[in-house]
Amino acid sequence: MRRKLIHHLLRLVTALCAVCACSVLAIIVWAIWVRGWPAISWQFFTEQIRLVGAAGGIFYNLIGTGILLLTALAVSAPLATGIALMHGVYWQHSRHRDKLTVVLYVLNGVPSILFGIFGMIVFVQWLGWGKSWLSGGMLLGFMILPTVTVALMERIASLPRQYVEAAAALGLTQSQTVRSVILPQSVSGLITGSLLGLARAAGETAPIMFTATIFAGATIPGGIKENPVLSLPYHIFILAQDSFDPSVGSKVWGTALSLLAVVFILNLIALPARLKIHEEARPG
Amino acid sequence: MSAPVFQISNLTVTAGPRKLLSGVSFDIPPGGVFGLIGPSGAGKSTLLKCLNRLIVLTPGLRVSGQIRFQGSEIYASGVNGDDLRTRIGMLFQQPVVFPKSILANVLFGVRHLGRIPSAEWPTVAEEALRSAALWDEVKDRLKQPAGRLSTGQQQRLCLARTLASRPEVILMDEPTSALDPRSTEAIEELILRLKTKHSIVLVTHNLRQARKVCDRVAFVAAREESGQLLACGTCAEVLARGDVPELTAYAAEM
Amino acid sequence: MLRRRWSATKVASYVFTLVALAAAVGMVALFVIQSLPVWRHEGSGFVTGTEWFYRDGKFGAAPMIYGTVAVAAIALLLAAPLGMGAAVFISEFLPRQFRLLVKGSIELLAGIPSVVYGLLGILLLRDWVYEALEAYEPLSGDTLLTAGILLAVMILPTVVTLADDALRGVPSTQRLASRALGLNAGECVLFTVLPQALPGMLAAILLATGRALGETIAVFLIVGRQDNQWPESLLSLKPLIEAGQTLTTKLGGSETNIAYGEPLHWGAMVGLGLLLLALAVVVTILGVWLQRISSRHAT
Repeated sequence: MRRKLIHHLLRLVTALCAVCACSVLAIIVWAIWVRGWPAISWQFFTEQIRLVGAAGGIFYNLIGTGILLLTALAVSAPLATGIALMHGVYWQHSRHRDKLTVVLYVLNGVPSILFGIFGMIVFVQWLGWGKSWLSGGMLLGFMILPTVTVALMERIASLPRQYVEAAAALGLTQSQTVRSVILPQSVSGLITGSLLGLARAAGETAPIMFTATIFAGATIPGGIKENPVLSLPYHIFILAQDSFDPSVGSKVWGTALSLLAVVFILNLIALPARLKIHEEARPG
Repeated sequence: MSAPVFQISNLTVTAGPRKLLSGVSFDIPPGGVFGLIGPSGAGKSTLLKCLNRLIVLTPGLRVSGQIRFQGSEIYASGVNGDDLRTRIGMLFQQPVVFPKSILANVLFGVRHLGRIPSAEWPTVAEEALRSAALWDEVKDRLKQPAGRLSTGQQQRLCLARTLASRPEVILMDEPTSALDPRSTEAIEELILRLKTKHSIVLVTHNLRQARKVCDRVAFVAAREESGQLLACGTCAEVLARGDVPELTAYAAEM
Repeated sequence: MLRRRWSATKVASYVFTLVALAAAVGMVALFVIQSLPVWRHEGSGFVTGTEWFYRDGKFGAAPMIYGTVAVAAIALLLAAPLGMGAAVFISEFLPRQFRLLVKGSIELLAGIPSVVYGLLGILLLRDWVYEALEAYEPLSGDTLLTAGILLAVMILPTVVTLADDALRGVPSTQRLASRALGLNAGECVLFTVLPQALPGMLAAILLATGRALGETIAVFLIVGRQDNQWPESLLSLKPLIEAGQTLTTKLGGSETNIAYGEPLHWGAMVGLGLLLLALAVVVTILGVWLQRISSRHAT
């Protein structure tokens, strides 16, 4: 009897935990939706901010976040590919390989505010760029590097050995194999990793608030120096801090909802591929 | 003739649209070793796992038909599979030892099933290890991790672990295919010794082993894309049959 | 052929890897070098000092270290049991057809940006905490406790996902062997699966801790950002219902902009960053190491 009790008790307790966890998270999504939906309209996306956020839309915020993400992609994709190739091909049997992985995982755990401080020193002060979209994009690209790289590394590791062996048997060099077999076959890993990385980058405020973004007054950057952009997360951050003007209320929630939509869509596209790799990597 | 240990009738196992086993019916008499022979992938392991209801732990499989164990239908609603499995032991193809000491492994079932008082555990452990012909090799290192044993020793440890719970029946799923010839022979000798006290159902793809160890066999092979029972009887009878093409082909390969 | 040894692809890979490594090393070096003034000025007093008055040249990080640790501790206390329990259910008891849906939903929720959590914290959590604590007469709803609760919700998906990974890493053969002996599903989980999943579960907690330690924006918005909140007794609960400051919220505030140009003040700010970096790196390395141990036992 005691044995059956253990079983039922364990199942009950853990089920409660699962229900609790899922409901907390469901409440969050619902709360944002309910408050943000009233603000959503075509005008919301195509107009710019007016009256310090109390009116108008988030057009240039969307543009700004888009610019930051594209830059981040341009920075992280080549770096991630280089690192993943070192890990999977050129340093396959080297003792440096493990150190590379450790550095990546540690980099992934670095608080995002520290990227902001780093950027402040290097870009804002040393290079004298002031606030610039390029600094923000580069910092974000650096920050999401582990995410992109690991996804690509996993994909390369899962490539069937026959492909590589067949290429080698034909007399191809390592690099020729990389160009003709490995890279083309692992593009899906790069895409998945990039989507996940960009989903994270889209929501980050700390790396860009000292280095790249302002609240109002920017449209499309015309150069590098002193060319900040608007962004979705920073917009929310500033509005959230001032003691709350009720008329601003639904706009800030609408921005939050839009940001969520961007993040969710990026994650959703990557999800099937990612879950497949995740589940395949586990026995049973 | 005493009542059969297992009575299988019209057993069918499906995985989605695929039929793994189709319309299998036969009896397993008590005592002795009953072999399930046939080519790999025919469904022998699936059939074995149906006998102790372990099959229901594999998601996506549907079982229909009846299996009676000691006269009671085991797939009836309300039957507790866990209790059933305390009466039926199982040995797997790859020895599965827990990451614990040798002693803890042997007593794992005993400890958690709680039917044997703890004062008796050392005796039970020794008895089980002796029955599995492992006692002399491990008696001085019972507290050491079981992972350090050789594969053949690990399999005998798994056997000891099963025996400690004193099951009525022992199911064995190709217990020697991962072992070297010496360990294989050791396990075969053990089976011959154990069959006086337990009913054993043995899945094997090795005809030599079947001839050596089994009293009766059932030949299971794929016909019309599902596993079917194609012959049943004493080992000599079955292997002498000429009217089953799959059997002839199989025997020729072996 | 000379060309073989060093093709463009190989060179590019080397260069890109070195660039990334250089940036990482450079970041650490930068934090060390730029914080030197404060180490020279205060020595270890920087870490143990409880007063921070930058105009007077006093830089003590202890209250902020306390804030960081307190907030992370509250978050863990709430999220770890809940998350691990949920992971056990999802991994061991949930019927397989729901698994992908539930896991997918939780992974999506892990992607909610911190600023959105901050917004929820301000508009919902702050008032709830204020009302719940009425008996203790809090000054406002912006407290260390509020931040801890919000962080708990933020790291919950991380705990669940990583703990589930750890559980899935235990080979199914172990479960089958255990069930074949007659143990029921609950006993199998408690006595076979969980002991083997332990390193991975601990890793999950550590990595979630790392995330909690480094979170800036959400905490910034509801922790009150009050300096010099050093508790009289480290074990008392009263300071938790007051406003506080963490390493991240200090760095995220306006003082960072003010400080640049003054070597000592800036050194102190970077010093805070260095402390934060050290904390996060230690926790992350421990977590990754445990993950490696757990995956070595799997398969």
